Amino acid sequence: MATVPALEKPPVVVAEIPAVQPRKGLRRYWHLYAAISPFYLLFLAFGLIPVGFSFYLSFHRWDGLGSMEWAGLSQYRYLVGDSDFWQSIATTVVIWALATFPMIFLAMVTAVMLNSAVRLKNAYRVAFFLPSVTSVVAVAIVFGSVFSTNFGLVNALLQAVGLDQVAWLNTPWGIKVAIATLMTWQWTGYNAIIFLAGLQTIPGELYEAARIDGAGPVQTFFRVTLPLLRPTLLFVLVVSTVTGLQSFSEPQVLLQNTANESTFSGGPGHSGRTMVLYFFQQTFDNNDFGYGAAVAWGIFLVVVLFSIINWRLLQRRDEA
Amino acid sequence: MASIHGLKPSRAGIRGSRRRALALHASLITGVLLSAFPFYWAVIMSTHTSSEIFSYPPKLLPGTHFLENVRSLFDAIDFFGSMANSLLVATTVTFLVLLFDSLAAFVFAKFAFPGKRLLFGLLMLIFMVPMQLQAIPQFVIMARLGWIGSMTALIVPAAANAFGIFWMRQYMRSAIHDELLDASRIDGANFLRQYWHVALPVVRPGLAFLAIFTFMGQWNDYAWPLIALTDPGNVTLQVALSQLNGTHGTTDYGMVMTGALLALVPLLIVFAIGARQIIGDLGKGAIK
Amino acid sequence: MRLSRRGLLRAGLAPAAAAALGGLASGCAVPTGSTGRNMVLWYWSGGLSDTVVKNARARYGSTVNLQAIQIGGYYRSKLITTMAGRARIPDIAGLKGEDMASYLPNADQFVDLRTLGADTYKSRYLSWKWDQGIADDGSMIGFPIDCGPVAHLYQYDVFRKAGLPYEPDDVSKELNTWERFFAAGEQLRKRVPGASLLTDVNAVFDNVVNQGSERYVDRDRHFIGDQEHVRHAWDLAVEAERRRLVSDLVNGTPDQLSAVEDGKLPSQLGASWATFDLKNGVPRTKGRWRVADMPVRPANNGGSFLSITRACREPEQAFRLITWMLDANNQAQGYVDAGLFPSTPASYGLRQLRDPDPFFGGQVTTDVFGPAAQRIAVAYNSPFDIALGQPVKDEIKNVGVLGKDPDKAWSDAMSKCRRIAEHLGVSH
Repeated sequence: MATVPALEKPPVVVAEIPAVQPRKGLRRYWHLYAAISPFYLLFLAFGLIPVGFSFYLSFHRWDGLGSMEWAGLSQYRYLVGDSDFWQSIATTVVIWALATFPMIFLAMVTAVMLNSAVRLKNAYRVAFFLPSVTSVVAVAIVFGSVFSTNFGLVNALLQAVGLDQVAWLNTPWGIKVAIATLMTWQWTGYNAIIFLAGLQTIPGELYEAARIDGAGPVQTFFRVTLPLLRPTLLFVLVVSTVTGLQSFSEPQVLLQNTANESTFSGGPGHSGRTMVLYFFQQTFDNNDFGYGAAVAWGIFLVVVLFSIINWRLLQRRDEA
Repeated sequence: MASIHGLKPSRAGIRGSRRRALALHASLITGVLLSAFPFYWAVIMSTHTSSEIFSYPPKLLPGTHFLENVRSLFDAIDFFGSMANSLLVATTVTFLVLLFDSLAAFVFAKFAFPGKRLLFGLLMLIFMVPMQLQAIPQFVIMARLGWIGSMTALIVPAAANAFGIFWMRQYMRSAIHDELLDASRIDGANFLRQYWHVALPVVRPGLAFLAIFTFMGQWNDYAWPLIALTDPGNVTLQVALSQLNGTHGTTDYGMVMTGALLALVPLLIVFAIGARQIIGDLGKGAIK
Repeated sequence: MRLSRRGLLRAGLAPAAAAALGGLASGCAVPTGSTGRNMVLWYWSGGLSDTVVKNARARYGSTVNLQAIQIGGYYRSKLITTMAGRARIPDIAGLKGEDMASYLPNADQFVDLRTLGADTYKSRYLSWKWDQGIADDGSMIGFPIDCGPVAHLYQYDVFRKAGLPYEPDDVSKELNTWERFFAAGEQLRKRVPGASLLTDVNAVFDNVVNQGSERYVDRDRHFIGDQEHVRHAWDLAVEAERRRLVSDLVNGTPDQLSAVEDGKLPSQLGASWATFDLKNGVPRTKGRWRVADMPVRPANNGGSFLSITRACREPEQAFRLITWMLDANNQAQGYVDAGLFPSTPASYGLRQLRDPDPFFGGQVTTDVFGPAAQRIAVAYNSPFDIALGQPVKDEIKNVGVLGKDPDKAWSDAMSKCRRIAEHLGVSH
């Protein structure tokens, strides 16, 4: 194991950063580097060691208290063949897709409506803000009722139009739809407010010009609003990807039932066990911190992969 | 907040636009009802006892135990003391984040310099690292610094974040027009003057969004404060509230709900103030 | 992006990891525990009686300043983080029963209570509970708080209407095997349309496993989840499903609560604390319930411990505090305040536990839970039990809820267990 002096090393890393750059000419940019430095300095001070530690941990076995055992690549080898982990990736991606696309669509519609010169906008925006701050305990209880088999609002609606009841919280697809609905409900207003801020950057003259050209509201949206909203859309999509792929509290609160059962299990057939829930289960239920760290790095790779795809899809047009 | 006369027909309205306004309000009200319903239910729960909340059929109307729940809440935790701590942390962090993130974002959005792509890529990568495994080493660092148990352990690491820089960068790219910057440069403005006099005034809606959601994130943050704060007399509101959750049938959900609701009040106030910055009147708000 | 990531790894990770470990390995620079009069106690809401904590503060106030802190959130992760970080460690820490297996291999983090004279108290506590606080090397880290004896909770009128035994003594006597219990379930379904005996198959599986003295991994770190005791529980759970004795409802949901209220789920195998869940969840069923023995023999579910950490400067003082807080009188108070069923048999005769319970039709429930608590089998809890029990529990749930073929489910569970066992270094 490493000794105390090792702690002195991080400052060396700080010093290395300027050293990598070519010396001359860079002085011209010093104020720019200074302006962006707080984030990187804070990361060096508080983020790098934890990140490095979890990387180190992923090559060991550790129960959190005892001594660490070197495990080489075995945690990663196990990860690659771990069908539970792959299932959790699929679960996460399905829930993410079921939640994100309706959410972005609804948020944009809401933002455009709120951006129209309507009265009562103070009341509206507060109301749309409420879901993102409502206590998770309340949300869990309410949605548990809304999706309950015999008494739930959703099944009542299904029966009203002549369809069969669905055991939402007891079937693999029902669970995913219920979780995605909860997420959509909770974050649509939040994203609407992001879009609203984006809409405010579009000059009024452009709308004026579109109206003089005889464009209707739909045409105006596609020809003026959407193209100018692209940076905001990119932001919303990337953030939804990063946070959506790391979701865990929604399935956790919706599917926990008895005191006996782990809150990380994700319901029958693990249908709602997302990647991060799986991480928690391995780390805290099984006390397997080393494997948990390997899972965390697996999650990181999946998130990076999806973010790059999103970025590539939107970036090209963004630059154009 | 809400203006009561808002439903009166708009004076400018010809018949068609009045019908359109009506449809608009109808859709918005539907959205509001959907959004507010679980919140309404939370309010209802805070007026009932724990066993009333879980009994069947669900309660749809207010009960009579609100004051009782408030009283047991105030008995159980130091509500206002911990709220003061939360206010301190959330306000300080919000201020620092606004400053550091907008500065960094301004640079990334509008300037070219060596290493820019690499540094921004690194920032986005850091944004994507799952944060759940960091508690133990972070605790060790904070313990070495002697910050465990104090609000410093919450404030300093949160003072700048990738989310806010990314957001402000995206926002500034469309909100700040290059001609404005060029003009100010010709006038001899240096970097800080450009930031302060050219950039900040036009990105107020973006800053307001960042302020709201930084404040909200800090206010509701719970995982790290729970570990970093050890002295029960000196915790944030969410940590205090988390102490109310007991085992098995013993949790007083009426009281828990009341606590969660009362904790929302400052958030709603901050939101109402901040949101006014986001939705300016059309044409007045942004750049010309 | 790819390039910068590699750069990040090369530049920072190796020294950072070393530094972090340095911090962990040499925590002595950090002040641990508290000093002098201050004595910090960590527990969770409902983990101890508030009255007892208050009385302890007053009683020992002249020598000790007891700071009892209720920790919110995931208790074990906070305790482990703090202990691994070696700063601000409490002097006395509550340990939840289900977490004991993960603390026991790290007994060196705690004071061995035997060195403080714990053995003289042994006879006053349930012996199986006492043994659960003892590590493999013989050192004792946990002092018993409460336990969770499981009994058969049922609705009197529904059982009567179904032509089943309905007085607690008769229920205990006549439904004393799983076969008789299941036969009663079939009769119940015939006489009361739409009624099920139990909520789900896990109610059978978990309880049968908990009745035994073996779990999933033995002392020699060998996987035993494929052996007869687990297979027996599995078969009984499958049989309950096959004979259609379990509902398709999920525990704790409105559907399940309303079924309980309507008498469609008139029976459950619940620990002593489950009576509080009933009182909260279905308050209108007050008076309809009775308690009887569960089939075959009692099981345990829940219960916790107090420990003294290595960081404690005054272990003797802490030990005096603990033994007083957990004596028979104060455990009776814990039952009244927080529903903590005493691990001290002497408490069962005290007034606080002899009160007739109107929710159970005036029955003295201690008459069932008390003797049950004394007949629980000692089981070895391995730190690997959770990891290796989970696949089996998951698959039996798949049989019950998703209708998976039991043979396929068993072989899936076993192959998953073998994979996990190999990964964790457990032989099989």
